[in-house]
Amino acid sequence: MSLAIETKKLTKTYRSRGGKGVDVVKDLDLRVERGEIFGFLGPNGAGKTTTIKILLGIIHETSGEAYVLEKEAGDIEAHKRLSYLPERPYYYEHMTGLEVMHFYASLFKINDDALCKSLLERVNLANDMNRPISEYSKGMQQRVGLAQSLLNDPELLFLDEPTGGLDPMAHKEVRDLILNFRDEGRTVFISSHELSEIELICDRVAIINKGIVIKQGHLNELLTGARIELVFRGLAPDKAKEIAGSDAVVSQSGNSTVIDMAAGNNTDAIIDKARAGGGSVVSVIPRRLRLEDLFVESVREHTGGAA
Amino acid sequence: MKVNAAKMLPLLILLFVGQAWMQRSVIYPFWGKHYAPRTDSDLSSLSPDQMLFALAGFREMIAGLLWVRADAYFDEGNYDAILPMVRIVTMLDPKQLDVYATGMWHIAYNFTDESQRSDRRYISPALALGKEGARLNGYTYELWFETGWIWYHKIDDNYGEAVYYFEKANEYDYDTIFADLKAAGLNDAEADWRAQINGIPEARKNLLAPAYLRNGDVIAARDLYWSLLQRAEEKIKTRQGDLYVGSNNRDTIEGNFDNILVRMAQRGEFARLRGETDMTGYDVYPPFDVGFSVSVSVIDYKVLLVEGTWGVLPVGTRIRFILRDADYQGAVPGGMVWDKGDEVSFTVNPNETFLQDQLFVRNQRFSRRVDLSRDVTMYPLTKQDYVMEFYYNPRSAPAHIQDKFGFNGEGMTDSNFLNSDIREGQRVVFAQLKITKDMILRTGDYRKGRKQAIVATQNYDPSKYTGGSGEVIQVPGLRSDPPSP
Amino acid sequence: MSIILSIARTTIGEAVRRRILLVILLIGILFLVIAPSLNMLTPRQETTVLKGLTLGVIQITSAVIALVLTVYMLPNEVERRTIYTILSKPVQRWQFLIGKYLGAVGALGLMIAMMTFTLLFVYAVMQSQEKPAAPIALFIVTLIALVALTNKLKDKTSGQVVIAVLAGGLMATLYWIGMATGQLETFSDFGKTAAMFFIQMCLLAAVGVFFSTFASPVVNFFLSGGVYMIGSLFNTLFDAVAENADMSPFAKGAVQLLQSIIPNFQNFSVQNTTVNPNQFIRGEFNHYMNLTGYGVLYISILLILGIIIFDRKEV
Repeated sequence: MSLAIETKKLTKTYRSRGGKGVDVVKDLDLRVERGEIFGFLGPNGAGKTTTIKILLGIIHETSGEAYVLEKEAGDIEAHKRLSYLPERPYYYEHMTGLEVMHFYASLFKINDDALCKSLLERVNLANDMNRPISEYSKGMQQRVGLAQSLLNDPELLFLDEPTGGLDPMAHKEVRDLILNFRDEGRTVFISSHELSEIELICDRVAIINKGIVIKQGHLNELLTGARIELVFRGLAPDKAKEIAGSDAVVSQSGNSTVIDMAAGNNTDAIIDKARAGGGSVVSVIPRRLRLEDLFVESVREHTGGAA
Repeated sequence: MKVNAAKMLPLLILLFVGQAWMQRSVIYPFWGKHYAPRTDSDLSSLSPDQMLFALAGFREMIAGLLWVRADAYFDEGNYDAILPMVRIVTMLDPKQLDVYATGMWHIAYNFTDESQRSDRRYISPALALGKEGARLNGYTYELWFETGWIWYHKIDDNYGEAVYYFEKANEYDYDTIFADLKAAGLNDAEADWRAQINGIPEARKNLLAPAYLRNGDVIAARDLYWSLLQRAEEKIKTRQGDLYVGSNNRDTIEGNFDNILVRMAQRGEFARLRGETDMTGYDVYPPFDVGFSVSVSVIDYKVLLVEGTWGVLPVGTRIRFILRDADYQGAVPGGMVWDKGDEVSFTVNPNETFLQDQLFVRNQRFSRRVDLSRDVTMYPLTKQDYVMEFYYNPRSAPAHIQDKFGFNGEGMTDSNFLNSDIREGQRVVFAQLKITKDMILRTGDYRKGRKQAIVATQNYDPSKYTGGSGEVIQVPGLRSDPPSP
Repeated sequence: MSIILSIARTTIGEAVRRRILLVILLIGILFLVIAPSLNMLTPRQETTVLKGLTLGVIQITSAVIALVLTVYMLPNEVERRTIYTILSKPVQRWQFLIGKYLGAVGALGLMIAMMTFTLLFVYAVMQSQEKPAAPIALFIVTLIALVALTNKLKDKTSGQVVIAVLAGGLMATLYWIGMATGQLETFSDFGKTAAMFFIQMCLLAAVGVFFSTFASPVVNFFLSGGVYMIGSLFNTLFDAVAENADMSPFAKGAVQLLQSIIPNFQNFSVQNTTVNPNQFIRGEFNHYMNLTGYGVLYISILLILGIIIFDRKEV
């Protein structure tokens, strides 16, 4: 299967006047497969938008290679098959929603009023499409953005902070739309620092910090198998601490004692010891990390390592 | 997919050379010929912002605004402030006809201390301005006409010059311009419009005839009237132009033509043309003596009383009186070299005095008080010796006086002062007297009236001069008596 | 081409709604309307002064509009991120730049037309003092039509029909007023002058667009304004240099070189024949054609250079 996006050692360096270069993106290797929702994560200023701009040909890489839909980044042919929704986009405010659609359609040389209208209906703007953009709320503008991004029936969508500044209801709407995109076979590249969204919809993620990818992989692989949670009844917390060792976190929940510990080879031994100590096993749960934890952990590790 | 800069380079060079060529070789010469402001004058009296605006494509705007200011100065009588403005405006936009026309008018006529006396030192720059305007606006009759008018009316001498300019103006005939513009490819409507605004109005063409007359060419005047009359008739017949204006014009020319025929008959012109020698039957013969005499006395500090005799009974004689430095640059008897070339310079010599006034004859006498103390910048009186001149040119005389002695003063004589040298081929009356600064200022010997400051022609006889207010005017009969003894 | 036109149309639609531009335009129009109260001169001189003044007002206003319009054009796109949505579409950068430029030119054309129309109206009323009702009524009708025209620009097909009809109607109305007031020649003179102003402003807009590919708006304003000033002074300065005998041949050569490089704006100020209608210049029409040709050549240079820079620019 061919890749939707591929970068090799992609680097973008900004030179300040003093001559000292700042690597906004460094040796970035990304592989986004077709049909997946790819989360591109990182704190603000990590280089996410810069990467997207390079991929779209709006700015140019300092070194390395970038391919989008098997064309060099910025290729006009590729642009016909992709679309981009910038972070909090603005439109020409004098236009109505429908006019915005017509305008963007004309850039694809599409003259299809029915398509424009149907896309607006799809993002629930059917009733507002003849109102000027200046009267739209942020969420409505975001939805117009999504609608225009579908005009060319794109194979690949770049969504930069798609839920930024939206209220929770709008969040859900946008999330559902993105999931629909995948179902339609599109590749979605989401850049975000709002992790709860990504966690719910992404297939794979890359975590970027200070221009460097620090983790990349399937969400399931990245998040699972790291820790395990053992719940016993009839085990005294003191005893549990003794058994589990200093790394584990022991807590009391009702008459259950919970041991939260790193998953490892000694799980069986600990269970044996606990049972020997009078406890009966209630549950053994391999705990899936929350993305946020992974993110914070990774960034902390990376920052620490770099220091 | 960037545009390849290297591939674009030949195209860019081509375009660049193309535009430079257009600009330097095609547009700039045309601009210089038709759109350039005049750059030969001093702009330093503009403020920097005015200058910047003026030169940066807004010169018509600045010229207009300055002219509004200048107009306000005219109204206030602040003439000195206007001179530089006239120059700047005509520099910024040398195509504004009114600035030339009104500018030269004001300069020639309004630099004055009272109604009949203006600063003659400014006539030369006014003429130069008119000539410059005519030169730079060669598509219209107007400034030729205006310059001619200064010669005809203000200078009232050297009528050949007036004829020259009026003839020039008359060349700008509607029909000629119309045909010319049609040949240049204009449509009828536009050619008509342009010929209308640039061609001399029919009614103005007449003025050349009196200029011919004063220049001594009666026949040319008569012929001009005749051709204009025919032309006016033709226009009415073929319904060209406004019928009302056309018939008014026809009537005027007809009247003028009629008059000149009557006068030619009365004054014996036809008889002379026929070669008759006996003119005794004509009113203008035999010659009679105008009996000019004059006395000038200084009656107060810088105040002269000019009194004398002039034996022509009807009212209407004006004798030119000049008081000037004895060594006045460019002075000629009875005037000066008015046309001092093409350069428009408003700086007049502050040490030169040239006064010109008129003496009105009533009841065969004249008496005029000339006050030189009023405007010290106009009459600086810095020299020691002055010349006073009295000049009468019969060609300037009104018709009823010319009825007495002909178009050119053929029947006029004066036993003392008739002169046919100072104006070639003309009979004029001319007298010259000398006066000194001490006399005018009543200083030196003349202080406190110790010695009476008075100069007079030898024939001046105070007993003949009976003075009088002149308020009662003796009306002459149709056939006047010989001049009173 | 449809992409370029689409961007141009959007740019026009935006420009005619920009408050700052509308304020400048309004001030210009206000000047034009109150200018005739300067009635203190002889009738002809009044006309001359009025024409010089009002045409000057149109020129200044258009120049300021051209500058404000172009110096903010690209920066605004970047600031509002509209440029990203556009450039991520199959739109080449040169298409974008030329579209924006044509949009600016279109908006300028509309505004200059509006001012010229106001001037014609003011002039017509002035010249027909006995019965100004007809021109006033016609003016209001056409004004409404003009506003409708700008609004209708949004809708493609019906808009084009409306534009065609209104443009025809506008010309017919002007012709009628010109005939009725006997000012047809003056009207066509005003038209010629306005057309040359328009070319001049197209050139200025190209300068502004060129600088906007690398300069910030404020810097650009002074750069373009400076070029306009120098370009407007140039013939006069060149004349002065040519007449100055003291100048070294080297300095003269340098001035000649400059004259070949800097866009010449002064040439386009051809209002003199309108202000002083007595003069008739043979070959005037050819001159206007030459000026237009020169303008097109220079605009092409600026746009190509602008595209080369913009292509490499990181937005």
